Amino acid sequence: MISDKYKLRKPQRFLFAVLRELGFFFKGALGNLFSLEFLMVLVPLLVLWEVLPRYGITGPIIPPFSVVVSTFWHLLTNRGFLHDIGDSMYTFFRGVGLAVLVAIPLGLLTGWNEGIRKRILPLFQLLAPIPAPAWVPITIFLFGIGTPMQVFLIFLGAFYPILFNTFQAVKDTDGRYLASARAFGASEFTLLTRVYFWSALGAIIMSVRTGVSAGLVMLLVAEMYGGNTGIGFVMNEAQSFFQIPVVVASMMTLGIIGWFLIEVLKFLELKLAVWKGGR
Amino acid sequence: MIEARGVTKFFSVVNDDRTADGITAVLSASLTIERGKFVSLLGPSGCGKSTFLEMLGGLSAPTEGAVFIDGIQVLETLPATRKETIKYRRKYWFLSPLANHMFKNKPKHDIAMIFQDYAVFPWMTVMKNVTFALKLRGVPRSERQGIALEYLKKVGLDHALGKYPSQLSGGMRQRLALARALAVKPKVILMDEPFAAVDTLTRERLQDELLILIKESDITIVMVTHDVKEALYLSDEVVVFSANPGQIRNTFTIDVPHPRRRHDDGLNEIHARIEALLKYDINHESEYVI
Repeated sequence: MISDKYKLRKPQRFLFAVLRELGFFFKGALGNLFSLEFLMVLVPLLVLWEVLPRYGITGPIIPPFSVVVSTFWHLLTNRGFLHDIGDSMYTFFRGVGLAVLVAIPLGLLTGWNEGIRKRILPLFQLLAPIPAPAWVPITIFLFGIGTPMQVFLIFLGAFYPILFNTFQAVKDTDGRYLASARAFGASEFTLLTRVYFWSALGAIIMSVRTGVSAGLVMLLVAEMYGGNTGIGFVMNEAQSFFQIPVVVASMMTLGIIGWFLIEVLKFLELKLAVWKGGR
Repeated sequence: MIEARGVTKFFSVVNDDRTADGITAVLSASLTIERGKFVSLLGPSGCGKSTFLEMLGGLSAPTEGAVFIDGIQVLETLPATRKETIKYRRKYWFLSPLANHMFKNKPKHDIAMIFQDYAVFPWMTVMKNVTFALKLRGVPRSERQGIALEYLKKVGLDHALGKYPSQLSGGMRQRLALARALAVKPKVILMDEPFAAVDTLTRERLQDELLILIKESDITIVMVTHDVKEALYLSDEVVVFSANPGQIRNTFTIDVPHPRRRHDDGLNEIHARIEALLKYDINHESEYVI
């Protein structure tokens, strides 16, 4: 018998669970990056990056690694780079969030019902091939330069991959799941929320990952074309003042952000699709 | 009572050389199944017996003829003429003919289905699979757990309530499908080669368990199988199909009382007769195959 003395109170238990999950997440995410196998490749690459520019072998353009790191630190401490990152992320999440909120229900509806599919999907199939950056001029005319225009452009970038992948996965739902659920008496709404969605969940999260990548592209495009804050803006400014270390530091920041978001989604997939695991 | 009246199923196909063609999966099959009977549909692979079962259960509509369960037509017959097709499409433009209702959970007919590869929902635990089926049948929330536990105990799965189907063996998954089908207390259970995916020993045990489970109920069971011994061991009636096109060849009534022995003399005699019939069809099949 465990006496009550050793039992944790509810908030404490919750905190422990959160800490444990965070531990799992960082172990999984950083484990790939700091594995011995990859470090054997990464460290020599960084050394080369440091040494080659210092001896002028790669020309005057490329800054050494240490200069990039110190520039990054300088940006963070003296030029409010953290604010720029925060602004970029806020815009980014609004754009991708909107895309997820619109595209997943739309994908579910079009995958579920042939009548809706035939009436709606061809429109998006016509619009989707237009490259998202091609929307920049018309969006600036419509929304002006500012956050709404940036959010809309990110939304456009992330929307189509999420919509089409969700639609395809929902459409490919195994007919026998539907048949047995219908025999038990499932309504179409129950089928959507309890069968179609779960059957397509893995593909939906994959599609959100694609959407995040496309959204990052559009974040940069949007900030470079219009805005006075954000990573893209810092990069654009640095380019016009020929501050190459700042450009490289911004690039690395974008890379790290993208990597982190993909890792979060991978973790989410693992948590949500726990039933997929083997024995 | 299930009644099939002259049920035909025709599929249009496109050949490799792009010429149009048709396959008659089931041709004019008529069958009456009384309440509480265990009926097996037996035949070689691809003879249309699964298609016939789908039409009995309302998973696909017949091209001609109709199926009735307790006098109510299961699915509307497919349209034949152009005019009828337009009318049919207009009627079902939004919801497919298979759909129950948009928002209300209510089955059209009191049936449950079991498939060869289980079709239990892999994203629900063992317990949740059964309670979900009960919820769809409108069983109140407070009673679901108790009923589910009762039936899971009957099939010996009460130790794995929180497990997911991917953590179970093939035999256990089939037991779960069985428990889920029985828990909703349907009038009819349709089974499509239910024991084909498990090994012989497990299969025989599952057959015995099934017989015990349904012993004192009046559930009508229609089972598709290609295993003659299985059909003879379990059923009251064996309906033999022939292939190309799928037709009902003969119906054998088995009067041997339960519990049966697997090598009963009476069963062996019918076994020989069925095997002769199937072999005759296979030997003369070449006439139909182009």
